[in-house]
Amino acid sequence: MNAIQKWFEDRTGIRTLIKFALDEPVHGGAKWSYIFGSGLIFLFILQAATGIVMASYYSPSATDAWGSVYYLQHKTSFGWFVRGIHHFGSSAMMILAIVHLFQVFIFGAYKKPRELNWISGVVLLMVIAFFGLTGYLLPWDQKGFWATQVATNIMGTLPVIGKYIKSIHLGGSDYGNFTITRFFTLHVFLLPITLISFLFAHLALFRKHGVTPYWKMSEETIHNRVDPFWPDQVFKDVVFAIGMYAALAGWVFWQGGAELQAPADPASNYLARPEWYFLFLFQLLKYCQGPFLIVGTVIVPALAIAFLFALPFIDRNPSKWPSKRIPFFCGVFSGLAGVVALTVLAMHHDSKDIHIIHQHEEAEIQAALAVKLAAKGIAPSGGLSIFENDPLILGKKVYESNCRVCHKVQGEGGDTGPDFTDFGSRGWVAGLLKNPKDTRYFKEPALMPPISLPDETLLDMSEFLLSQSGGLLNPNVERVAKGQDLVLKGNCVVCHAIGDKEQKKLGPNLTAYLSKGWLKEFIRNPTAPKFYGARNKMPQFDKLTDKEMDALIQYLFSLSKDRLIVSQRLEDVKERLICFWTTQHKDIDRFWRQILIKG
Amino acid sequence: MENKSRRNFLKIASHALGGTLAAGIAVPVVGLAVHPWMKETIFGTEDFIAIGALEDFPVGRPKKITITSSKMDAWNVFDGLVMGSVWVVRTGDNSLQVLSVNCPHLGCGVDWGEDVKKFLCPCHEGVFDINGQKLSGPAPRNMYSYETKIENNTILLNYKRMV
Repeated sequence: MNAIQKWFEDRTGIRTLIKFALDEPVHGGAKWSYIFGSGLIFLFILQAATGIVMASYYSPSATDAWGSVYYLQHKTSFGWFVRGIHHFGSSAMMILAIVHLFQVFIFGAYKKPRELNWISGVVLLMVIAFFGLTGYLLPWDQKGFWATQVATNIMGTLPVIGKYIKSIHLGGSDYGNFTITRFFTLHVFLLPITLISFLFAHLALFRKHGVTPYWKMSEETIHNRVDPFWPDQVFKDVVFAIGMYAALAGWVFWQGGAELQAPADPASNYLARPEWYFLFLFQLLKYCQGPFLIVGTVIVPALAIAFLFALPFIDRNPSKWPSKRIPFFCGVFSGLAGVVALTVLAMHHDSKDIHIIHQHEEAEIQAALAVKLAAKGIAPSGGLSIFENDPLILGKKVYESNCRVCHKVQGEGGDTGPDFTDFGSRGWVAGLLKNPKDTRYFKEPALMPPISLPDETLLDMSEFLLSQSGGLLNPNVERVAKGQDLVLKGNCVVCHAIGDKEQKKLGPNLTAYLSKGWLKEFIRNPTAPKFYGARNKMPQFDKLTDKEMDALIQYLFSLSKDRLIVSQRLEDVKERLICFWTTQHKDIDRFWRQILIKG
Repeated sequence: MENKSRRNFLKIASHALGGTLAAGIAVPVVGLAVHPWMKETIFGTEDFIAIGALEDFPVGRPKKITITSSKMDAWNVFDGLVMGSVWVVRTGDNSLQVLSVNCPHLGCGVDWGEDVKKFLCPCHEGVFDINGQKLSGPAPRNMYSYETKIENNTILLNYKRMV
């Protein structure tokens, strides 16, 4: 010991303390079966380290939480990894805590004089579960928001005190800023303090009573074989810890980090599912309906917990041999079997439920879109604002509330007006020219006669008509020239004006046909003489704001792959393309989603 | 004896593995903590902010204008934020200078004295000419100015870059 160390030791006694902490005799020898408890301590330290650094990025408010987690996940170098470790680390802790509980149970380590050790352990297990519950809400994304609704509603079913318990957690009658500040307080202050206090008691009691060796070990071996905790047991613990961390890191890499879904939308109808370790409770509730709800929410869980607390007092036989404890083994393992069965049932049901599968896909797409939109910054009004700012999403909304009654897209919508599947594409316009009376277009009342020309020729004409506005993707110059010839020198101009925007003829003016300006004027007033005049059947949509109109037109453009160019910027086109796929193809395959997510 | 050397090995191995583990955790955790060293977290979204057309500024008469821009603050974007003010001095048909309103002495707001045709700092009587050159007073240097450029008759100002 050098002088500095000695000086320090004289004043702090730190060496003695470390020596005391490590110098524990392990009766019966160091064992791999003792690694679970220390493994849990390691995981708790890991959760604390990752949690603290994440807290320095997190903003606990309903408007900012999602944005701050988005920033952590997508804008920092290690955020996705640290959050992944923390997220999956919580599951690892839950698994390990259950393994630890069963190891302790099987070894009979709850028996006199270790009753309080067992009870503090059960409390710690509940604290871990509560950590998971409170942490799940914090990203304020769809999944966390809706899953936590289920949990807090369960709280509300407690007789008499239920509504008070619920409102103290929510910080009011509904989800809002106080819900998040309260869950945050629980997750980062109250629960860690509780966990550390009980852990301290748990460890102190463990040191007092020592390990409980394998029941087959003779008294003699227990007495004679004594290994020092350091390094014999510590080595095994460290190997386990490093193995767990490697597995956890591997899992995080394989999963690409923890999921962050789209911002919580209280108006959506998201099918909530809790985290996997609460699924059994969730499934149980399906069988407890009406007045029996309380059986699933309160009575069964309360009985299970009461049983765990009471176990060391019911099982008073000092023998640790499993054969002497058959009723208790049956009780505990049938409980486990019940939990596993309920979990499997819940998972199985969800894997078969087409609504859930669709919702998963939709949620993944929404999440990817949210990430794309958030890159430009999130307005201070909150995470959800990113969607309202996207013209395609707003456009789709406008379309759905105004146009869908009469127009179809991909088989959905009314039949009165033309089908808008692939609207404004080369093929769509060519098809219109081929037979305006087709059920896809203007049907029987159409005045314009079908054009009996080869399909290729019709495509030339379509190429010309669409190229007028410059809004056609990759126009073919040859086709445009051929089409121009056909349109301008053929019969079209007998009924249609082309070239002079204001000219009126029998049919609609085709100058800059289906361009942004044309559509805008048309939608505002299809009855105008330059369009359909008195023959028009479409209502005027002159109440739409400029923003809504622009968004609607962008959405209409997005319906076909030929009309993607709205802005000339490549970046925008790429984005449009992605939005096109996300808004149009709900069943896009994995490939597209991968591209989307990787961006 | 055998036990002793085995335990020595275990001690060394535990230290080595424990150290590796600690490093494996510390790298991402510390890496995340020092993120602001590696990346700007608060910044204006525009490099050059349009402050008006050339003809808005008469030659030889400084005009004080407010700069508004948008700002990214981590995840949030704020539009139409007031960033501050500048003196725009049009020195010729196609030349101009944008000066900071803050005196290079202690940062007080500098005024234009139209009667004396000089910039005057009210705090410690600093005096600068129309180009921001120091004439008298305690200021250690000339007035700060900003990088500018003119595109399509629009004056663009790089508010991040003082020269």
